[in-house]
Amino acid sequence: MESYDLIVIGAGPGGYIAAERAGALGRKVLLIERDHLGGVCTNWGCIPTKSLLNSAKLYRHAKESADKGVVTESVKFDLKRAMSWKQETIETLRNGIQFLMKSNKVTVVKGEAECVDSHHVRVGDDLYEGTHLMLATGSSPIVPPIKGYDLPHVMTSNEVLEIEALPQSLVIIGGGVIGIEFASFFSSVGVDVTVVEMMDEILPMLEPEFAKLMRRELKPVKFHLGSTVTGITEEQVIFTDAKGKEQKISAERVLMSVGRKPNTGNLKRLQLDIGKNGVVVDDLLRTNIPDVFAVGDLTGKSLLAHSATRMAEVVVSNLYGVGGQRMRYHAIPWAVYSIPEAAGCGLTEQEAVKQGREVLTGTTQMRANGRFLAEHGKRAAGLCKVVIDAKSKVILGIHLLGPYSSEMIYGASAIIEAELRIQDVKEIVFPHPSVSEVIRDTLFALEHTL
Amino acid sequence: MAVEVVMPKQGNSVESCIIIDWKVQEGDIVSVGDVVCEAETDKSTIEVESTADGTVLKLLYAVEEEVPVMKPIMVVGEPGEQVQEAPTGDSASEPTEREDSKPETKESTPAPEFKHASTAGSEHSAHPVSPRARAAATAAGVDATTLDPTGPKGRVIERDVIGALKGREPLTPAAKAALVEQGLQSPERGSGIGGRVRSEDLVQVPQQPSAQPLAGSDGSFPGPVVETAVKGVRKVTAKRMHASLAETAQFTMNAYADASALQSLRARFKASAPELGLQKVTINDLILFAVSRTLLQFPYMNSHFHGDTMRTFEAVHLGCAVDTPKGLLVPVIRHAHARSLKQLSDEFKRLASLGVEGKAQPDDLTGGTFTVTNLGGLGVDTFTPVINVPEVAILGVGGISLRAVQNEDDDLQFIPHIGLSLTIDHQAVDGAPGARFLKALCDNIASLDLIMAL
Repeated sequence: MESYDLIVIGAGPGGYIAAERAGALGRKVLLIERDHLGGVCTNWGCIPTKSLLNSAKLYRHAKESADKGVVTESVKFDLKRAMSWKQETIETLRNGIQFLMKSNKVTVVKGEAECVDSHHVRVGDDLYEGTHLMLATGSSPIVPPIKGYDLPHVMTSNEVLEIEALPQSLVIIGGGVIGIEFASFFSSVGVDVTVVEMMDEILPMLEPEFAKLMRRELKPVKFHLGSTVTGITEEQVIFTDAKGKEQKISAERVLMSVGRKPNTGNLKRLQLDIGKNGVVVDDLLRTNIPDVFAVGDLTGKSLLAHSATRMAEVVVSNLYGVGGQRMRYHAIPWAVYSIPEAAGCGLTEQEAVKQGREVLTGTTQMRANGRFLAEHGKRAAGLCKVVIDAKSKVILGIHLLGPYSSEMIYGASAIIEAELRIQDVKEIVFPHPSVSEVIRDTLFALEHTL
Repeated sequence: MAVEVVMPKQGNSVESCIIIDWKVQEGDIVSVGDVVCEAETDKSTIEVESTADGTVLKLLYAVEEEVPVMKPIMVVGEPGEQVQEAPTGDSASEPTEREDSKPETKESTPAPEFKHASTAGSEHSAHPVSPRARAAATAAGVDATTLDPTGPKGRVIERDVIGALKGREPLTPAAKAALVEQGLQSPERGSGIGGRVRSEDLVQVPQQPSAQPLAGSDGSFPGPVVETAVKGVRKVTAKRMHASLAETAQFTMNAYADASALQSLRARFKASAPELGLQKVTINDLILFAVSRTLLQFPYMNSHFHGDTMRTFEAVHLGCAVDTPKGLLVPVIRHAHARSLKQLSDEFKRLASLGVEGKAQPDDLTGGTFTVTNLGGLGVDTFTPVINVPEVAILGVGGISLRAVQNEDDDLQFIPHIGLSLTIDHQAVDGAPGARFLKALCDNIASLDLIMAL
C-alpha cells in the first residue's frame, strides 16, 4: 500500500491547485479524479461557457458595428466551429494541468475514489494511505423532479454544451448566473429564449437596480419572474406566473439551471458532518473528522472556482507552508459573463443595511467614462455603484455592470481586503483611458474633498 | 438666530444638483450631520447633511427642483423664529450668515488624524516625544507617549517607535484611523492579508484602575463610577443566561462523590513518566471523562429541548466553561465519548488555550450536547449553574472537601468528596431520572479507575 502526505479527491480548481501547491512544497501527493482533470470549471463550466460567449460577442460585434465604421455582410454564426474552438480550449487547458501535475511530482490516479476511513482511500482494487485527506469532489446540477424532467429535450448545463444544432426556442428554468449566461449566449445567436425564475428578480447577488438593467440589456430574452414551473411536455413548459395564473410556452429545448448540490456520495463512510448546504467546515476548512479537510463547492460556502482555489491554498499553507491562514469570504469577487458583463465584490447596499450599518452609496453611469463612450456610445448600459460605511468611510462593496467588469473587479477585492477608505482609493492612480476609472470617479462624486 | 444650510459643492464640474427626496420636514429637529435630503448630480446621488443644530424652519426647494451648489436649501433656527425674506434669490446680501455655517461644512474640516494623535499625546503625556518619533508613530497608528523612551531626558525618539513596530504586521488604513480615533489597541497579527491588522481585530485597552485609592476621599457620593459598555462576549453571555432562566424550568440538585479515586489517579499521573504525556491530566479532565461515559447510559440527559421536540444525541459533544480575559467561553469537545482520557484532556487544553488567547472559532464554541462548569478551584463547594440552552442539563463541579463517613465497623472516617451540582430543565427531565443520572455519575467517579478500563 502506497502512502502519501496528502490525498486529494477531485481535480477541479480546488483539488488540482491543492495538489500542485503541496507538490511544489515537496510533499508526496496523490490526486484522484473520476473524469477529466480540471473538474467542472475546465470541462463543463467556467471555461467552455466563456469560449461560447466570446463567439457570441464577436458575432454581435460583427453585426452591430456599422455605426463605428465596420460594415460586414452575410455574417453567420457557425455552432460547429464555435463548439470545436471550445473543445480545443478545454483540451489545451487539461493538458496544461496534466503538465503541472507532472512537474510538481503529483501522482494522478483516474477512477472513482471510495473513502475507507479518514486515512485510507480505495480506487478500484488499490488502497492508498494518506496522512491528510482533502475532499474536493465539487457539485452537480440539481434536477428537480418536475413532471417531464427526464424528457430527452430537457438538459442541464452539462448536456447543453454538447448540442449539435441551435434550437428555434429555448426555455431556461432558473435565472441565476448559469441560466443568465446561457440566456445571453443563445439569444445573441438568434435563439428565442425565455427565462422562468422562481424569485422576484434574476441574479440575487446583484444590486436590484443592476438586475433590472441587466434584464433590459438582455432583450429580446423574455423573463417570467416569481414563476414556478409545474410541468414539461414534449412541446411546452407549463408554469404558474406571479399572479398565480397557469401559463404555457412552447420550447424546442429546455435548460434546467436551478442550482447545484454537493457531491457527497462516496464520502458516506467517513461520518462527516453534512449540513444543509454541504460538508460543514470551519475557517481552516477542517471537517468534524481529524485530518480530513473539505474545500470548494462540496462545502456549499461559496460556489465559485476561485473560492475553491483559495480554500485549497489555505489548507496547504496551514499544513505545509508558512501557515497562520484563515479563509475569508467577505472579499470574494463574482462575475457574470453575459453581454454585458456584471461583477461585484463585498456588500450590496441591502446587505450592509441589514447588518445594521449606516452606509453612503454612490452610483455612476459608465457613459461619463471616456473609453466606454468611445467604444460603446452614449446609449449603452453601464453602471458602477460603491457602498461605503458612513462613519469610517471604508469601502464595503463595489458593483459593476458593463464591459470589462470581470477584469477590473479584482481591484475591488484588493480594496476591500486592504480595508481602504474613500480617501485611500483616491490616492491610487488608475490608467486613463480605462473603464476602471468609474470606480475612482464614483468616489470623487461622493466625496470631493482632496 | 436662523442659519441656512447650503447645497454643498460637488467637485469642480458640478454646478447644480436636483433634490430627489427630503428626509426632513418643516418643524423637525435636526443636528449637525443629520441627512436632510438626497440630491442627484449628473454622476451620482449624494446625501446632504445638516450643518446646523435646531428646528427646520423652512425648506426652500421642492423635490425635483434644481439647486445651484452653495445656495441655501433650508433654514434652521429656534421654533417660531421668523424666517427672513426668502433667500433663494441670488442676492449676495447674506455673506455673514453663510460664513457662519461654513466652518461646519465637510470640506473645511482638516484631516483629523494628526490632531487626534497629537492631542492624545498631550493629555496623558507619560513621556515627551520627539517630532520625528511623533510623525513615525502617527503614520503607524501608535501612541508614542506610551513607549519606553531611550532618548535624552526620557524622550521617546524615532528608534523607540521603530523598535515597537518590529515584528508587528502592518495595519490597514481603516485600522490605523480607528486606533488613533477610538483609542484601541492593536494585536501583533491580524486576520487580514498577510496578517494585516483590520479594524475589527483591534481590542479595547484594558481599563486602568482608578487613580484614587482612598475610598470617598473627596467626600462625594457615590464617588467615581466607571461606566463600561456591555458588548462582545459580555453581551452574548448576558443575553443567553437571561434567556436560559426566563425560558426554562431550572432546578438544581447537589451531591457529593467519593473523590479518593480521583485524587490517587491525579497523583499517579503527576508522577508518571513524562514521555507518557499524562502529567498534566487534571481532576477536571477526569470529571469530563466520567461525564462523557455516564451520559452514554442516560441519553435523555444528552439532549436538546426545543419545546415541541426533543433531540437526543448518540454522540457526546461536551461543552466545558472556560474563564477567559474576555469573559466566559464554552468550547465544545466534539465526540468526547469516543476519546481516551488523554485525547480528551489534550483537546480540552487546546480549545481552552485558544479561548484564552481570544482565537476560538465559532465552530469551536457550538454544537454542545451537555455542559460542565467547574468552580472547585475557587473554593466553591456547590452552586446553581445556569443551563446552556437548548441543552437540558449542566453539571457544576465544586471543590474537594473531607466528609465524615461511617464505615463497616461503625467508625467515622474522613473521606475526600467532590461537590457536584446538577441543574436540570424540568421541562425535559424529571427529578428522579435526573437524580439517577447524578447517582450514577457519583458512582462512576468513585470507581473511575475501573471505568477507565471500559
